Amino acid sequence: MTKPTLAIATVACAIAFSGCASFRAAAPGDPLEPVNRGIYSFNNTFDHYLFKPIAKGYDAVVPVPVKTGVSNVFQNAADAQSLVSDALQLKGQKFGDDLGRVMINTTFGIGGIFDLATPMGIERGNEDLGQTLGYWGLGAGPYLVIPFLGPTSARDFAGRLAEGQYDPVSMVSSVRLRNSLMGARVVDTRVGLFPAEALMNQAALDRYTFLRSAYLQRRQSLVLDGKRPKED
Amino acid sequence: MNRMKSRNWLAAVLSVVSLVSAQAQTAPDALVKTVATDVTAVLKSDPAVLGNPAKLKDLIESKLVPNFNFARMTQLAMGRNWAKASPEQQTALTNEFRTLLVRTYSGALASFRNNTIDYRPLRMQPGENDVTVKTVVNQANGQGIPIDYSLEKSADGSWKAYDVIVAGVSLVTNYREEFNTVIRDQGVDALIKQLQGKSK
Repeated sequence: MTKPTLAIATVACAIAFSGCASFRAAAPGDPLEPVNRGIYSFNNTFDHYLFKPIAKGYDAVVPVPVKTGVSNVFQNAADAQSLVSDALQLKGQKFGDDLGRVMINTTFGIGGIFDLATPMGIERGNEDLGQTLGYWGLGAGPYLVIPFLGPTSARDFAGRLAEGQYDPVSMVSSVRLRNSLMGARVVDTRVGLFPAEALMNQAALDRYTFLRSAYLQRRQSLVLDGKRPKED
Repeated sequence: MNRMKSRNWLAAVLSVVSLVSAQAQTAPDALVKTVATDVTAVLKSDPAVLGNPAKLKDLIESKLVPNFNFARMTQLAMGRNWAKASPEQQTALTNEFRTLLVRTYSGALASFRNNTIDYRPLRMQPGENDVTVKTVVNQANGQGIPIDYSLEKSADGSWKAYDVIVAGVSLVTNYREEFNTVIRDQGVDALIKQLQGKSK
């Protein structure tokens, strides 16, 4: 129950800070830009001294097959979570695909360590609650940068909080194993961001804006399942 | 009679030739495929190119650059700010943006080497002069990254790309928002300086 508390604290902070810091014209979709930028630079510092060094060490030391296995286990958990959103959007094909993936990978793939479903041509549904809300017409709302978590939007953050209630990893009963898994998932996610980070460093003029634009566009594209909105 | 026949024959040959060249000129999906196939073929036959910045730049300049409309990309990325820039600033912006894009693309190519590309069928109405060619780059881990190219027909009839959309993220839109932020906070000259700094 600490997650909703964190959310409330974040929003309270955001409101408190935005009052005195809104001296620049805000970009559309990002009314909290001054606060977001503050949290973004806090996150960067934190990442620079903690997350990134750990992820780099893990990436350097752990052999590739192990890393792939770890990624696959968390991916399998995400596929299981995706089922809920497939169903809520009445997407039968995706529901069937994700169900097939989870069943095959959990059994023959030994708890998800091996991803046998992908080479079989069963695609990931890749849905979540944020996308589900978007599918049913809810806009992204204000762009948010959450401490330690990074870029999101009001809609997507609400979705993530709710997804925490049926996260397979949080259902592991042993506290020690659960905490280790949660830590490992953070590291695995961070390692997965290395290529995108390298590209951003090469291409971006203003990293905050680059990340915001990429995040919001990517999410919109996922809501529309890859179809692009007609621009005018 | 004989003369008629040979004339018909000539007309037929001519029409086939013009059809072929028209095809080569007008099919934007064929263009994307040819360029991508050419570039990946070079990278496969001579992987050392990736470690050689000069050779890589040559490859990009000869194969990719002629098929992009950088002036249009710059204008789109500038959006409303384009009109605020002086002609000198506009020229500088176009040149610097082009250099940055070429550099970024060189960096991205390295990770494309061993991937295959699927081309989605293009549904194009006759007379259309703005299309999006959809491709999927298949990675080693089985995940496909959708990459779409927006192309526009130029005055001479050739198709040129003005946007690349990677996994739903448009390059031009991304830069438009960045340009906007930099211009809002620091002005057009600062943007030109930052573009130059990025390409060093």
